Amino acid sequence: MAQQRPPSLVRQIINYPLDWLEERSGLVGAVRYFLFRKVPRDTNWSHTLGSATLTAFLIQAITGAILAMYYKPETRTAYESIERITNDVTLGWLVRGMHKWGASVFIILMFLHMGRVFLFGAYKYPRELNWVIGVLLLVLGLFEGLTGYLLPYDETGYWATVVAININGTAPFLGPFLVNLLYGSADFGTDTLARFYSLHMLLAPGAIFALIGLHLYLVIRLGVTSPPWSPEAAGNERYEPEPPSRDGRDGRRAGLLRPGARRAAR
Amino acid sequence: MAVVDEKHAQFARYKDDVQTRGKPFFPHAMFHDTVMSVVVVCVIIGLACIWYFTSDADAGEDGSGWLGPRYADKADPGTTSFIPRPDWYFYFLFYLLRIFKWPESVILATVGIPTIALVLLIALPFLDRRRERRPLRRPVAITGAILVMLAMGVLTYKGATVRESLGGGLTDTWVEQNNLPENARAGADVFQEAGCMTCHSYLGAGAGGPGPELSEIGAQSGKNVDYFVRYISNPREFGNNIMPVYASFGEKTLNDLAVFLAASKGPGGG
Repeated sequence: MAQQRPPSLVRQIINYPLDWLEERSGLVGAVRYFLFRKVPRDTNWSHTLGSATLTAFLIQAITGAILAMYYKPETRTAYESIERITNDVTLGWLVRGMHKWGASVFIILMFLHMGRVFLFGAYKYPRELNWVIGVLLLVLGLFEGLTGYLLPYDETGYWATVVAININGTAPFLGPFLVNLLYGSADFGTDTLARFYSLHMLLAPGAIFALIGLHLYLVIRLGVTSPPWSPEAAGNERYEPEPPSRDGRDGRRAGLLRPGARRAAR
Repeated sequence: MAVVDEKHAQFARYKDDVQTRGKPFFPHAMFHDTVMSVVVVCVIIGLACIWYFTSDADAGEDGSGWLGPRYADKADPGTTSFIPRPDWYFYFLFYLLRIFKWPESVILATVGIPTIALVLLIALPFLDRRRERRPLRRPVAITGAILVMLAMGVLTYKGATVRESLGGGLTDTWVEQNNLPENARAGADVFQEAGCMTCHSYLGAGAGGPGPELSEIGAQSGKNVDYFVRYISNPREFGNNIMPVYASFGEKTLNDLAVFLAASKGPGGG
């Protein structure tokens, strides 16, 4: 578009850093592609469950990072550090409460999102890989819940973990090895707590972040499915030849529901 | 090859439709996402506030508010009166464990069924290769999903409401029905309070698994007080990888339990 006059000062101030960044990294173009890409016309509220799950996870990550600044992962001091966070640290009760309830919200949203994807048949070609990644994310999310439960080192967490480790012990062949792996030493002790802490805040979140990155990349690349019952579902079959496009002046196809598509949709 | 071509053709149509008739992600879909995310944040903050402001500083059940207490009691490996329970989203697995009564079959609940379910879940796109996405034309998928959701819902509910009898209410009955001597009473009380009945049954009370019924365990040869003290302190020594290690109970409690179990020879013995 030919400029009639030089861009205003405000535009220049905004554009200059963006152009600088774009020329050196291409990131601005990537963000622009993400923001302005096309999605099916009948995308609805049920498609928000995925990003809602991501939001819940980010809340867990942020509140978890803040909690980690005050939490002491040692059997003698863990419980007291949680008491201190709840009572003494400014808004510590809020951070701890959000982390505790955010875990349940995260898991519920994951299941709802999985249900939506299943209902829409959005695990079918070409999105099979995304489904597999999603199931792995579900397992990792539950694993976070399991390892996090022990960290306050209270009665509920302690005994639930004892039972959980023992159940792992019943697995054929790998059972006893798994038990030793989770205990960290011969029996339940400080090593166990440290191990669960490392799994909960380093290993599992790292894996989750990586898999979310892949998951989002695939969603952007492959697109989001329309609700399958929608008459305007993207990808519907056409049985009749396209009518001659009635595009006169502006070059776009006339009308949203072309007669051919409408009659063909069952 | 025709099927593959159809798949490709459908996806090509999809991409074409999105390009020509789709709407840009920003602002339309992004608006929806943002609103939903704000709702999620508000719900989480709301839950945290309700939890905190309706409870008080006491630990355990005393300080409980609408959403439970601020803390449970501090972990104590020597506790004899705590029933282990996982977080709510594991209740369905927790209850699955209790359905299988025979010790040999427990592994089905702990390893078998969850593993098979997970494998099926991962393999779903490779098992269901039809292109059809409309729910009403996918009877198998939809029926399977409904059954799974119902099953998990029922199992979760049952896992949440399961109760064990705590306290020595059954000791008198057991002393009478199982011909127990008076010095077995202390152990019988511990047996009920320490959560043994989460996995064991005794004269029909308690859980059918994963541990065996114990009302006649003392009648088996070689199972005297020493044996039980060693076993309960370290079941691993006897090849039992499921039962927790209760060495932390302390000498007196272990001895009481052992006396109780050694005297449990069934209604006919003793």
